[in-house]
Amino acid sequence: MSPPDRRPVAILGGNRIPFARRDREYAGASNQDMLTAALDGLVSRFGLQGERVGEVAAGGVLKRSRDFNLTRECVLGSALSPDTPAYEVQQACGTGLETTIHVANKIALGQIESGIAGGVDTTSDAPIELNEDLRRLLLDLNRTRSTTGRLGLVRRLRPGQVVPALPRNEEPRTGLSMGEHQAISTKRWGIGRAEQDEIAVESHRRLAAAYERGFFDDLITPFLGLERDGNLRPDASIEKLAKLNPVFGDGAGATMTAGNSTPLTDGAAVVLLSSEEWAAEHSLPVLAHLVDAETGAVDFVHGDDGLLEAPLFAVPRLLDRNALGLQDFDFYELHEAFASQVLMTMKAWEDPAFCSERLGRDEPFGSIDRGKLNVTGSSLAAGHPFGATGGRIVGTLAKLLTERGSGRGLISICAAGGMGVAAILEREA
Amino acid sequence: MSEGDVQTIELDSPPSLTSLYARAVVAPVLPGGRDELPDRRLELRGAEMEAEHVAAYSRVCGFGVRSVVPGTYPHVLAFPLQMSLMTERSFPFSVIGLVHIANRIDVLQPIPMGSSVDFAVWAEDLREHRRGRQFDMVAEAEIEGATAWRGRSTYLRPGGGSDSPRSDGDEEREPAGELSVSAEWDIPGDIGRRYAAVSGDRNPIHMHSLSARLFGFPSAIAHGMWTKARCLASFEGRTPETFTVEAAFKSPLRIPGKATLRSGRRDGGWAFRLESPDGERAHLIGSLRG
Repeated sequence: MSPPDRRPVAILGGNRIPFARRDREYAGASNQDMLTAALDGLVSRFGLQGERVGEVAAGGVLKRSRDFNLTRECVLGSALSPDTPAYEVQQACGTGLETTIHVANKIALGQIESGIAGGVDTTSDAPIELNEDLRRLLLDLNRTRSTTGRLGLVRRLRPGQVVPALPRNEEPRTGLSMGEHQAISTKRWGIGRAEQDEIAVESHRRLAAAYERGFFDDLITPFLGLERDGNLRPDASIEKLAKLNPVFGDGAGATMTAGNSTPLTDGAAVVLLSSEEWAAEHSLPVLAHLVDAETGAVDFVHGDDGLLEAPLFAVPRLLDRNALGLQDFDFYELHEAFASQVLMTMKAWEDPAFCSERLGRDEPFGSIDRGKLNVTGSSLAAGHPFGATGGRIVGTLAKLLTERGSGRGLISICAAGGMGVAAILEREA
Repeated sequence: MSEGDVQTIELDSPPSLTSLYARAVVAPVLPGGRDELPDRRLELRGAEMEAEHVAAYSRVCGFGVRSVVPGTYPHVLAFPLQMSLMTERSFPFSVIGLVHIANRIDVLQPIPMGSSVDFAVWAEDLREHRRGRQFDMVAEAEIEGATAWRGRSTYLRPGGGSDSPRSDGDEEREPAGELSVSAEWDIPGDIGRRYAAVSGDRNPIHMHSLSARLFGFPSAIAHGMWTKARCLASFEGRTPETFTVEAAFKSPLRIPGKATLRSGRRDGGWAFRLESPDGERAHLIGSLRG
């Protein structure tokens, strides 16, 4: 079967609010507040007040049940036309890129002409649920009609049940946090402490430099007094990071610290996509095109692969399908969930054994030129509000390609649940 | 009021509303003032639009947290100054018994969260009302010398009405049928206490049915400025950067209670009306325009 006619999908720009560390500047802001702020910033930058766009797709990981229609609520509270439909996607840290793919696909098929994709997350205004025993008891109570039956149920009440259930950053099937999972992979791949700290320092240095030269001036809308990412430490150094104690992993071999792992953060990011025609009608320059994307997953529960290793497989599949080699890129955006995740990914693609046994290739997949990797910093410096990261990266990469004039960029984002999302962006000369 | 006669008093800090209410209760037994409004202006410089407080106010009134404060927010900072003027010995009326009948707010420039605002408050335009006499308490907020916000609260002192031809806007009543129902609100019984906590306005008629009864109300009633703020919040996404929002307060809204919001397009802006579920009584009739 031949692929259907696909129209090119243009990326017109991105907008996000600066990311804040947990319980800091955005402690009083909800997911809805942050996503609306990012959306309204995009709307004013591109003059979309009152405009009906094809759809808005966004999502968040830590969501309250009352936010069942979060994105639609944000659209209703934004300056966009209330006739703009919206929906949510939840794919952990891949959310912001997955929504971009959804919107892009509808544009490619001609179902919509324009769309906004992105995501949001708050770790400060986190959902708190009733204690599970108490929740079941209250549901039973609601179902029970007779007084004696109800009295019987009330006897099940225990003082401990008033303790609420807090959201946990752990995999339901393994009970391990993401950091604990990655600590296993870090050890298995033999990733050292010093190289992780180097990645972290470089991330801070490059993000700070990008801010200094005004790179983010048309990518960020200040929010609640914050103008730059709250986690950014321009003076981060190997010496300072070397003093931190490991927080994930056990014993002498533990290398993952708060400095080379992303902190819990709050924030939101969105990107504007459209058909060529829509961009021309609105006199909006096209920054780049979304060429193709691939989402993958691995069996991290019983299989051989680690929780954050899905991109190791998704990226080669994506590049093969597009007849591209790993060296055919001018920019690489490998989301820095942990410095060791980035290092492990690069190491795996250089490893003949892994490439032959797991990827079925005769040659190693290849190396990445560090000078082209995360050139304006990534999540270690900016922070990582789970759902917002994809939107941050798409907006950043599209602008990098515009600055360069032409070129190709690769995005790779690892996600909880053993998943990974990858995409290719391109700007023709 | 000629500029030369105005006495300006600058305050170091916002007055305490609790002691002002105490003064208000005592005031009627003290010798009254003259029969004209005082030529006094109260000023408070450098009031902070403090993010945490704005967020708490926003949650109670239904606004989202934005980088600019809700249009009705500056009122809660100006209100203590108004109360301070109205409870002065020289003020012609006892504040107990005054009825807040209307409020108009002009947002002339967006007020950023975290900004520092200078307030000035005065009373003006004592005039006839068919049910008594009315006057305006005006508040202006400046940011770096430029007027950013203006609030005008109209109070009625009932009694000795002139029965003059209606010139007080009472007849602006929008035929409810022309506005469509946009929301039905279940207003909780503690909304008076929650708004009191963020506005500082602990008038007993809003706090509890028992304290409200002392002042002749069958139950507690919602703050007028809360109902106005709640209505404005419902236009989130449709409120321009600068705008005027007006409200005429009609019958009190008993809490806990239900209310129906009706709205419709009017002259490039919006008209709205908050009424009882049966549509018999209007609580608030308002408009929003850019």
